[in-house]
Amino acid sequence: MKRALGSRTSIALVIIAALLLTTPLAAWADQVKLNVGLANPVLLSGKKQTTYLKVGLTGFPMASAEKRAPVNVAIVLDKSGSMAGQKIEQAKSAAIQAINRLQNDDIVSIVAYDHTVQVVLPATKVTDKYAIASAIRRITAGGNTALFGGVCKGAEEVRKFLDRNRVNRIILLSDGLANVGPSSPAELGALGASLVKEGISVTTLGIGTGYNEDLMYQLAKASDANHTFIGEDADIAQILNREFGDILSVVAKEVLIKVTCAAGIRPVRALGRDADISGSTVTAVLSQLYSRQEKYILIEVEVPATAAETSRPVAEVTVSYANMQTMATDHLSSTVSTRFSPSEQIVGQETRPDVMIAVAEQIATENSVLAVTLRDQGKVEEARRLLEKNVAYLGKYATKYKSDSLRSLQKANWQDSQNLEGKKWIEGRKLMRDIQSERQQQRGYTNPKR
Amino acid sequence: MKPRLVIIFLLIVLLPMALMLWLGVRVVRNEQEMLKQRFRDVLMGRLDDTTAVMQRLMEEREREMLRLTELRAFDAPSMRKIVRENPRVLQVFLLDPRGNRIHPPPDGPLCTSEREFLQRAGQVWKDKQVFYRQPEGSAPPSQPQAMPANAKPSLRSLQNKQTVPQQAQIIRAAPDQAYGWYTWYWGSGLNLIFWRRSPVGHVFGIELNRARLLADIIAELPDTDPADPKLPSGRIRMVNAKGEAIYQWGRYEPPKDMRPAAQVALSPPLGAWRLDYFAPPADSGGGLVLNLIAAGVVIGVALIILAVYFYRESAREIREAMQRVSFVSQVSHELKTPLTNIRMYAELLENEVPEDDEKAAQHLGIVVSESQRLSRLINNVLTFARKQRDKLTLRPSPGAVDDLVASVIESFTPALESRDVTVTFNSGAAETVRFDADAVEQILGNLFSNVEKYAAAGGAMDVASRQEGDTTTITVSDKGPGIPRDQREKVFDPFHRLSDKLTDGVAGTGIGLSLARDLARLHGGDLRLVPSEEGASFEVTLNTPRAEGEAD
Repeated sequence: MKRALGSRTSIALVIIAALLLTTPLAAWADQVKLNVGLANPVLLSGKKQTTYLKVGLTGFPMASAEKRAPVNVAIVLDKSGSMAGQKIEQAKSAAIQAINRLQNDDIVSIVAYDHTVQVVLPATKVTDKYAIASAIRRITAGGNTALFGGVCKGAEEVRKFLDRNRVNRIILLSDGLANVGPSSPAELGALGASLVKEGISVTTLGIGTGYNEDLMYQLAKASDANHTFIGEDADIAQILNREFGDILSVVAKEVLIKVTCAAGIRPVRALGRDADISGSTVTAVLSQLYSRQEKYILIEVEVPATAAETSRPVAEVTVSYANMQTMATDHLSSTVSTRFSPSEQIVGQETRPDVMIAVAEQIATENSVLAVTLRDQGKVEEARRLLEKNVAYLGKYATKYKSDSLRSLQKANWQDSQNLEGKKWIEGRKLMRDIQSERQQQRGYTNPKR
Repeated sequence: MKPRLVIIFLLIVLLPMALMLWLGVRVVRNEQEMLKQRFRDVLMGRLDDTTAVMQRLMEEREREMLRLTELRAFDAPSMRKIVRENPRVLQVFLLDPRGNRIHPPPDGPLCTSEREFLQRAGQVWKDKQVFYRQPEGSAPPSQPQAMPANAKPSLRSLQNKQTVPQQAQIIRAAPDQAYGWYTWYWGSGLNLIFWRRSPVGHVFGIELNRARLLADIIAELPDTDPADPKLPSGRIRMVNAKGEAIYQWGRYEPPKDMRPAAQVALSPPLGAWRLDYFAPPADSGGGLVLNLIAAGVVIGVALIILAVYFYRESAREIREAMQRVSFVSQVSHELKTPLTNIRMYAELLENEVPEDDEKAAQHLGIVVSESQRLSRLINNVLTFARKQRDKLTLRPSPGAVDDLVASVIESFTPALESRDVTVTFNSGAAETVRFDADAVEQILGNLFSNVEKYAAAGGAMDVASRQEGDTTTITVSDKGPGIPRDQREKVFDPFHRLSDKLTDGVAGTGIGLSLARDLARLHGGDLRLVPSEEGASFEVTLNTPRAEGEAD
């Protein structure tokens, strides 16, 4: 009996010691910065109105590049006939370059597809970079485009080492229309939505002007990753490098944002990202946060008429995420409330620029998506008017809030409005999907074509 | 002569060749059919292996769905959690025992994906009674049956498992608890729902993410690594209900319009999909065909050599026979001139013999008649030879047939009289007509000579002639032994003789009647043996046009 008691006590002591050791460490470690704000911290009194709630999350700077989370990445490379020549060569050397940035405990796999799918390099630790490079060099282009199958096989390779503590990622490089297997944006979107639930995101890089940008955009959007249009073959390496840079700087994963609106406040919709709105609760998931990059969700909320000079709570925001530096689950929370004033001037003075910039960005992006739909229906003039409206709208906000980001979005919209007709539209449409993805995902870089 | 030889030649070569070819083709075809069957069996085996993989996957999915539907608390947050967290789930729904929807909440706020689900699942709500159907008896768990490859998937195919299958450790085997798959078409293809009814009667349904299901299947299927020795040499293609390729693997790239060598439908709930196997054009049986061709060539060459040998042999024989014939006819021709001289001088001598010198006159008469006979024989030989060379022609000239008949009878009279044959001539063809006197003389000469030779015992020869229009008919009848019934046609064959017995004491070449008939036919008529009461009766018909312009 005594002996047994003794061993139990020692176990308890070990646990206590472990807790004592880990708790302060976790507390000292860097945390994601949560920034919750209303567009209008002061609202007009006595009037039912809507405003926007921004939940922004910024990845903390990494202590050092070596201490990053290990990655598990599958490069899915289109080797169909259209890729032949410069494209495939650039893509291959870009892939080799990118893989050279990986470390021994990272995992990489290479899948190449034409009308069939070939697992060129099954998921493996990056210990023999030379062997990996020569496997990549052996890829030759020719045939059709079994994009769906390629992504499936890529996902299967990632799944072999699927680990919460890794950054699990598929990078799809394609220049063609998927013509073997499912090929609708909806189906690829559904696949992306399924993969993201496992913690796998699919970055899609469209090369040239022959690919289906809707499909690539949907796949990336549904799996919470970037979609980028690579207009010039020479840019393949640069952009793949940027994406690898992101992957190598993931500081948080499985970011679950829960917004619980206070009594009387009704969430209307989420802008830019999908969110699950159920009653007064809004749930959204971000797959990952990159170091020093801000990602946000924007929720339109309806506030009931309230008396002046009073204040009311709007929402409580809780965030949980897996900290990729400490491998612990961190929790953050914040509440936000608004005051009411009868003075429109005060309301105007008090608007928060960072939230307003996000609002302008997302509304303009929504209009851009709508403009593509209109243009697809052949309504060129309507699409142009919408984009011109965007230009004016963004111009106003860029000036008001001195925002370079909105300025560049304004410029992009103006470019897009010039690309609606003739041959320009093919590339124009791809650029529009690119900027839409950039702004919805808060991609860390702009397209070199802009 | 030649065309017949060519035909024989062709028959000798072609008939055995054709026979061999036919047999060979049959053997090869059988062999190929067998190989094809064996090949198909192998392919079907491969496809079955693949469908087994998929079936295992579906069973696994079924187990997972059963685990998921093992829900104790039916509240919206936990259901949404399933949707949020399970990568295979697209949407869930819950119906109460009366079929009313509990989730997605009919009056509460819905998220976008739930709204979309309600829109595309319209068909499901119409069909919801299938979730409440009671088990029919105690049907054993049925293994999913493969649909025939060409079966068209019905728009709403449905498989309903009412009883508990093998995975009994996962679900409670309550009789009123049921689960199954429900499939329907919306948008770009097949949608799948797994549903389960609780003992209380709640129905929990899970809509599977189709793209994910497909991705899972594809993940289980082989990729196309050219270095993989297990990679099929053909191409296996998974095809959806619309006939579009979903995924494919294998070394071989089939041409666009190729038909699959083997096909197998997937088990329900994926019954609308199938697997096609495309095999590279088979070299099986090719060796056999090559062997067959080689054997055919060898045998064909042997046959041709044989046929050429026979042809040369027979050609040589024919040539020799022709040479003999031409020799005989040349000799005959050479004999003709001296014989004519002999006849002429014998006839001259007949007039110079004193009337009282009966012995000399008799001897001279024999010389004359024998030289006439010899001359007829030579004529026959020459005519026959001409006929052989296809040079038999007529030279008709005007004259009275009766005159000619009478003169021929006259020339035969001494010989016939010496054998006690009485000749009667019933003339009736006195008109002047055009005919070939030499030919008619030869015909009659042959007939008369036959009477003299074979029917002298009858003691009578009746000759009759008549004319009707352009036809002159001459009948020569005797009262001799006649011609046996079975010989009636054969007597006209060349070299045919009723009796070859030397003891008959009668000589002949056997070509007389044959020549006579040929000549009569050449003359637009015929020579026939007509029935008579006794002896033989020959009837000669000749085409003798009137010679009015040249009369007198």
